[in-house]
Amino acid sequence: MRPSIRGALPSLIAVVALFAIWEGACRGFGIRPFILPMPSLIAAETWGAWPVVLNHTLATFGTVMWGFAASVLISLPLAMLIASSPAISAAIYPLLVITQSIPKVALAPILIVALGANELPRIIVTFLVAFFPLVVGTVAGLLATPPELIELGRACRAGKLQELLRIRLPFAVPFVFGGLKVAAALAVVGAVVAEFVGADAGLGYLIQTSMAFFRTPLAFGAVVLLAAMGIVLFQAVSIAERVLFPWSSGADRPVA
Amino acid sequence: MIRLDRVSKSFGSVEALQDVSLTVAAGEFVAIVGASGCGKSTLLRLVAGLVPTTAGRVVLGGTAVTEPRADTAMVFQAATLLPWADVLRNVTFPLRLMRKAKGKMLGDTEARARALLATAGLAGFEHRLPRELSGGMQQRVAICRALLQDPRVLLMDEPFGALDALTREEMSLELLRIWQGREMAVVFVTHSIPEAVLLADRVVVMSPRPGRIAEIIEVGLPRPRSFEQEGSPAFQRAAQRIRALIYGGRVAHAA
Ligand SMILES: Nc1ncnc2c1ncn2[C@@H]1O[C@H](COP(=O)(O)OP(=O)(O)OP(=O)(O)O)[C@@H](O)[C@H]1O
Ligand SMILES: [Mg+2]
Repeated sequence: MRPSIRGALPSLIAVVALFAIWEGACRGFGIRPFILPMPSLIAAETWGAWPVVLNHTLATFGTVMWGFAASVLISLPLAMLIASSPAISAAIYPLLVITQSIPKVALAPILIVALGANELPRIIVTFLVAFFPLVVGTVAGLLATPPELIELGRACRAGKLQELLRIRLPFAVPFVFGGLKVAAALAVVGAVVAEFVGADAGLGYLIQTSMAFFRTPLAFGAVVLLAAMGIVLFQAVSIAERVLFPWSSGADRPVA
Repeated sequence: MIRLDRVSKSFGSVEALQDVSLTVAAGEFVAIVGASGCGKSTLLRLVAGLVPTTAGRVVLGGTAVTEPRADTAMVFQAATLLPWADVLRNVTFPLRLMRKAKGKMLGDTEARARALLATAGLAGFEHRLPRELSGGMQQRVAICRALLQDPRVLLMDEPFGALDALTREEMSLELLRIWQGREMAVVFVTHSIPEAVLLADRVVVMSPRPGRIAEIIEVGLPRPRSFEQEGSPAFQRAAQRIRALIYGGRVAHAA
């Protein structure tokens, strides 16, 4: 625990310093709160509306988790499929790149018209924003297995399935977690994008309605909560990696 | 035990091996030397059943080799350990993969693995991860992994190539000690002529483009072998002859 606290100290100091400068600048230059509210005001307003804010936070968190789960459930098999043969890879990859080139903000209203104003289009948009790095990371991991390890498997009479499950997949774990960390952060972005377009709850919705009524501090509060959610999810993935696959978070892991 | 019958192997237009015939007796120790690219690794991979021959056939214990066999084990130049598995699970990996170590068998396999690791000087390291070991220790684990399969044929492709000279000598003698207690044919590829002569009953010298056997040298040194024998006339004669074959006599005339 000690070393992790010491490791977090610099970032903590940086955040505190940032807020301090922000607060000082707002007071010093007399910036009006509906343009740039100071941190103390943001905290007070957000706290004042906390039952509502909590509901919105939970709504967004739900969308994020469903979208993240969908990303994991679809990306991993998809990556295995892509890594299994160059032909499949050549067929699927361009399609994936197309889904990434389409602005999700443009896609969201279309999905809402098609699927109705419920949770599903928001989950799909979240998924579309989050899943790509996970696929790319996992494919990279599956293909990065050293040829000697593959040959060892073959010398031990392993079939294709055994090779995938016993050699390629474990080898890809650090890469998968690299992708999971990016996907976790992007899922938050995706959920907010979807809420901007069509939602009656969620932090994205809160930001929009607050701004409409010039309640800028509340909108800023929602932004801070979104950032916190991203950090928590990212850390949760990191902790899961350390607990479940201690060998993965060691010396020569790929940069995530 | 192993018989290569006029074996050729091409990769596209590259002829890696041409018309190679070689017999290795059960329990014999054969070293293969030759310039880089003359097909030594290819020869091993043919015997291992990892690649098919283009012409000719490889026969092992009376049956033609068409796929990897359970009684053949291979050691590569790099240790190629599973980074996620500890030493013990790395050593038992092939047997677990071949489903020869399940249920009650697993306990027995692990006991044998521990004993083997102990003879390789790795007692107490059973639950370390590969990255916590030195290069020499990792290679020892890889050799233990091959030996645990109790192979009748052990194929080693420059197994000590990545090690420093001291570790290398130490491990050569260790390998000989282990081999002496078993009925196991060894085919050992190396770039070191002294290593080949010290270890082998016979040294196969190969010539490149296309890969062929230039000559097979009988090393008439008594066993058990030791480094003192390096000074003996028989050792010098064999080493000299191999050098002459590889460099086409150039070295013999140089000094
Ligand atoms: N999988 C392959 N595909 C195409 N060519 C190959 C393949 N494997 C080997 N070769 C070619 O066959 C020839 C012999 O290669 P091989 O690896 O057997 O040589 P080697 O004697 O082991 O060399 P070294 O001492 O450098 O390890 C080389 O020309 C190499 O380019
Ligand atoms: Mg080679």
